[in-house]
Amino acid sequence: MLDDASHNQDTDKPVARTEPGHETSGAEPGRRGFLKGASLATMGALLGTTIPFARNMPPGFVPVALAQDVGMGLMDAKDGLVVLGDRPVNAETPAHLLDDDVTPYERLFVRNNGLVPQHAMDMNAEGWTLTIDGEVDEPLTLTLADLQNDFETVTAPLWLECGGNGRAFFQPGASGNQWTTGAVGCPEWTGVRLKDVLERAGVKPTAVYTGHYGNDVHLSGDPDKVVISRGVPIEKALGPENLIAWAMNGEPIPAIHGFPLRLVVPGYPGSASQKYLTRIWVRDQEHDGEKMTGYSYRLPAYPVAPGTEVPESDMVVMLEMPVKSLVTFPATGAEVPAGRPAEVRGHAWSGKGDVAAMHVSLDFGQTWQEAELMAPPNPFAWQRWRAEVTPPEAGYYEVWARATDKDGTMQPPVVPGWNPRGYGNNMMHRIALFAV
Amino acid sequence: MTFSTSRAALAAAILALGAAVAAPPSSAQGFDPMRPGAGFNPMLPQSGQPRAAPEEPAIAGNPDLGGIPDDVGAEETFYLCSACHSMSLVTQQRLTDARWDYTWDWMVEEQGMPEMDDETKELVLSYLKRHFSAER
Repeated sequence: MLDDASHNQDTDKPVARTEPGHETSGAEPGRRGFLKGASLATMGALLGTTIPFARNMPPGFVPVALAQDVGMGLMDAKDGLVVLGDRPVNAETPAHLLDDDVTPYERLFVRNNGLVPQHAMDMNAEGWTLTIDGEVDEPLTLTLADLQNDFETVTAPLWLECGGNGRAFFQPGASGNQWTTGAVGCPEWTGVRLKDVLERAGVKPTAVYTGHYGNDVHLSGDPDKVVISRGVPIEKALGPENLIAWAMNGEPIPAIHGFPLRLVVPGYPGSASQKYLTRIWVRDQEHDGEKMTGYSYRLPAYPVAPGTEVPESDMVVMLEMPVKSLVTFPATGAEVPAGRPAEVRGHAWSGKGDVAAMHVSLDFGQTWQEAELMAPPNPFAWQRWRAEVTPPEAGYYEVWARATDKDGTMQPPVVPGWNPRGYGNNMMHRIALFAV
Repeated sequence: MTFSTSRAALAAAILALGAAVAAPPSSAQGFDPMRPGAGFNPMLPQSGQPRAAPEEPAIAGNPDLGGIPDDVGAEETFYLCSACHSMSLVTQQRLTDARWDYTWDWMVEEQGMPEMDDETKELVLSYLKRHFSAER
């Protein structure tokens, strides 16, 4: 059945909303069932090749490339997330479950482009190394122990947001997972500065961009296919905020979030924060890895009308995430007493760094009041904001929340600049409030 | 329906409306202006929006085919798409025809999907454009 976590506040399991008959453990039963009954020719077509030793395959056998565990079992510990898909596993968090200053594991959104690799499912980091090569004086191959012993360890809450958060609101629709507001979170990460590691290798003057690699498994099952390999301009990579992290909230990074090593590059689309990190290739040109090119994580170079077919050559890489905020308390639809102040609160963040101001409206944007906005504990932690609103009489109200960045840029009330893949929607978050 | 019964229905509706105004319904708990559903919604999220109110499923799909609706091409679509990803990635989409064409080429050229013969391609693409469209 279709469902919505806001109607399932008591649930302690992820909520599937899009797939009738969907179960939240293991591979899709329908798919498995089909594969078991499928002809060899069909399975061959799906694999994109023939199966030379097919006559040796036992009845009901499913080729391993098609049978890879998708990692859905890892979702059992998630609390109240809305599952968008189970192959790959993607799930977002309802706004009222993101009230914590530091997002706990149970409530951190899940974004995968491929399948969770087996070493992560086993939580086995044996032999793991990270290679730094390309435009550096001295290529490095570092073990986890090298990273932990040879560099300064940093612990900091840092927010990550999927570039496509808010995609569901674009019209015409944009392809991809239809995130609404919940593909964002701010856990506390522990690791070393990306900058320190790059500088140890010695960044050459020819360095332009980074290219990140991990070992997640391609959906097609093809072991030679790269799932995703994105990067950032070298100036961003050398910022002090980016980490190569091995722990989240004081524990080894959970399997579904990139065990044992990942990048955390706050301020940029979450895809720049490569999971299962094995290599950082310093490039002498804009990185052209998987999902750097075409329409992926790219915006039109100029404003276009909704639905415009923009030539690929006119698409440019999306850099900083726009200024944004959420109302995390109360939950939408809450009842509050009429004529009395009611607390509303949430978080604000911006890809450019600190948010400068936060405002709320209780009358559909006609008047605004300034909210109290806390400084972040460190750059690129999201910022707590808080306000008291007083509904003058019983009835229906909406709380509209609007963050302003340090350059004076504000969140718009409607979906900003349509783009073919639906990135960068920072429209204001609104919740319903019933005064009684 | 006779004139008098429709007048009675209208009167009942007005009474019900009056009651609703006097006391906001507690059933509104959980109402979210960011999402479509029953009740007052000043700014319906745009298409591509996967969520409907729990009581009104948006797609009467076939559970054996990952929830996509029965129609010509549904089985072929299910087998082809679900070989790599869950069908919910399909049912979430509301794309223009041009974007469906692009997405097909992207899956073949970049994502390792086997190219289909013209007949199958036409069958599956036209199914997707009929059921998961921003245009119709």
